Amino acid sequence: MKQDEILLSVRKLHVSFSTEDGGIKAVQDVSFSIRKGRTFALVGESGCGKTTIALSIMRLLQAGQGKIISGEIIFDNQDLLKLSEKQMRRIRGNKITMIFQEPMTSLNPVHKVGNQIAEAIRLHQNKNAKQAWADAVEILRKLVVSPSNQAGVAEPEHTALPKGILCSAYPHQLSGGMQQRVMIAMAASCKPALLIADEPTTALDATIQVQILNLLDRLQKEIGMSILLVTHDLGVVSEYADVVAVMYASRIVEKAPKGQLFAEPFHPYTRGLLQSLPRLDVSAKRLEVIPGTVPEPLYFPAGCKFHPRCPIGHKDKRCRTVEPELREVQPGRYVACWYAPGYEKR
Amino acid sequence: MRGAKNKKQKEQSHERKRVGLSYGELVWRRFTKSRLNLVCLIFVLFLFLLAVFAPFIANDKPFVIRIDGKLYFPLLRNLQPSDYCIFLAAVVVLWHAVGPPSCFRKKAGGLHRNTSGLGLSVAIVSVGAVLIFVFVPRRFDAVDYKEMVDSGKATGAIFAFIPYGYARTELASHRQPPSSRHWLGTDDVGADVLCRLIHGSRISLSIGFVAVGISVVIGILVGAILGYFGGWIDFIGMRFVEIMMAIPVFFLIITITAFFPRSFLNIMIIIGVTGWTSNARFIRAEFFKLRKQDFVQAAVSLGLPLRSILFRHILPNAVAPVLVNATFGISSAIFIEAALSFLGFGVAPPTPSWGQILSLGVSASGRFLWWLTLFPGLAIFFTVMAYNVVGEGLRDATDPRLSKAA
Repeated sequence: MKQDEILLSVRKLHVSFSTEDGGIKAVQDVSFSIRKGRTFALVGESGCGKTTIALSIMRLLQAGQGKIISGEIIFDNQDLLKLSEKQMRRIRGNKITMIFQEPMTSLNPVHKVGNQIAEAIRLHQNKNAKQAWADAVEILRKLVVSPSNQAGVAEPEHTALPKGILCSAYPHQLSGGMQQRVMIAMAASCKPALLIADEPTTALDATIQVQILNLLDRLQKEIGMSILLVTHDLGVVSEYADVVAVMYASRIVEKAPKGQLFAEPFHPYTRGLLQSLPRLDVSAKRLEVIPGTVPEPLYFPAGCKFHPRCPIGHKDKRCRTVEPELREVQPGRYVACWYAPGYEKR
Repeated sequence: MRGAKNKKQKEQSHERKRVGLSYGELVWRRFTKSRLNLVCLIFVLFLFLLAVFAPFIANDKPFVIRIDGKLYFPLLRNLQPSDYCIFLAAVVVLWHAVGPPSCFRKKAGGLHRNTSGLGLSVAIVSVGAVLIFVFVPRRFDAVDYKEMVDSGKATGAIFAFIPYGYARTELASHRQPPSSRHWLGTDDVGADVLCRLIHGSRISLSIGFVAVGISVVIGILVGAILGYFGGWIDFIGMRFVEIMMAIPVFFLIITITAFFPRSFLNIMIIIGVTGWTSNARFIRAEFFKLRKQDFVQAAVSLGLPLRSILFRHILPNAVAPVLVNATFGISSAIFIEAALSFLGFGVAPPTPSWGQILSLGVSASGRFLWWLTLFPGLAIFFTVMAYNVVGEGLRDATDPRLSKAA
């Protein structure tokens, strides 16, 4: 598999949902593409539209959650938005899979976890129940082996357990980290081309977060899948992403390879986010904060949506009236800010 | 010391295989907290066994008899296809309730107890029933074996515990109060009341179970579709359900039974077809709640087909209130059947039914025959009460609000 081929590209996606007060634009003019075998991170605050994008790719938006107004989502040379529900079912869980934020509520409480993994295998790989169960046991065993221990020696805690005992457990009998492993096993069982991880570690402890993220990293190398990492945790992004897109109020405001973004953020919002993080390498007396709060989707300000909170824009007339679009300012670097270096030259 | 320690370790490792209690075990534990629940459950099981083995308990045909030096087995010969069907169904139900015998059980860590097992059982019972009706001949011999024994033509007869048939007519001894010959007396054609009560339990229970089965199936299908899809489908569907609920069901049933032949099957279908609305409402409410849950979305994101999402992933989480409702449904179906038979719209006379025996209590001459009223009345009373207590116990045991207290 060539590493640089584009696997999925989202073009000019608009999603909105209607309320009694009018249409709310959840996602506006979002475009990005994910290369094979790479990790693309979508970062942003709650409610900025990250999850809506993830659900749009899966075509999982329910009636109350929004409607795709326009745009294209090209995967494998076909537009996912034009597929029938039946064709889409063949892609879901097979080529594109998803793991969710809360592992506890994402597993069905009445079925053994092994059966839940096996069902996906049976469906997409045409295996009988027995083979699928054996596969599930094997996959879960692999995921439980400590990621730091590449020799494949299981952690002592787990060697004591009889083979397959994890698969025979019900979700409530497992810890949060173990539940998330089960979710990952379900998602990775069919060796998908793209894994969408929607805040995969938000509900977990810091130590378990690392384990889960390392696990995803390992799986990515083994299977060669791409990952769309949806998160609000810049620490996670700095460790695991290849390309990062920062979202603010339903738009992508900056998109860049990880190293460049962290070294030199162009958009004032990105800068604010990075300054508000505690860092070990810089001694700061006090962390910077971004003043104000995220605007309500119904009352987005005119012009650049960030201008009321922006150190430059809140005084600038153009920022208040004209919304900047996302432009490529350097090869591979996109930003939507009138004051970004090189923005107006192109 | 060492031995004790080893033993302790062994126990621990044994315990390790079972992590926590399953939902079923929790419910069972809470259910059996109350002695009354347990007593009523045992009574329900007792009725179940009584109904299944009725022909072996009360029958005028002997198990074995010797005529002219040859052995005959009249009781087995006279078993009807419907009896065999009941045996088959009972075995399958027991298989589900208690689990397969250990020799058939898969080893630990093995597969699945999934819902397809239920489908398989239903298939076995229905195919089996068809085969039985095709291949088992309907035999009936009208020989009076007791008379043969009395007159010395036959010897060595072993009769059932209650040696009377439910369809016996013996006008010489009709309307007799309880005696040592007929423990609960005889009815207006001279049939033994105890025998008719035992055989009547079959009618009551099978009407209860089949009618509730029909109403649960319809309720689940309708409720699942309304609850999962919501929107205008739900709006129209619920208005239809409300219209159905506004109809006084009992009078509808009386009217319908008046138009159709008085058969056992018709009554089951009519009670089932009119009783699904509450089940549909329960299921709809549960599906409404569950369809937004993460695990449902996760199931969709795995590309599972709608059938699997509705019935494999949502339904098992939604079924508890319907199971509780079903136990109440059984008692009310039994009650409706008894009422119908009492009014003369029920099953036709040679077939025994509790309500019909009850209606004989006041004879044409106006004499009050207390044994014909009291005993079937008690049978109906205790059965309905037992099912209600079991249903209430189940409802409390499955109620999550009470789970902390238990």
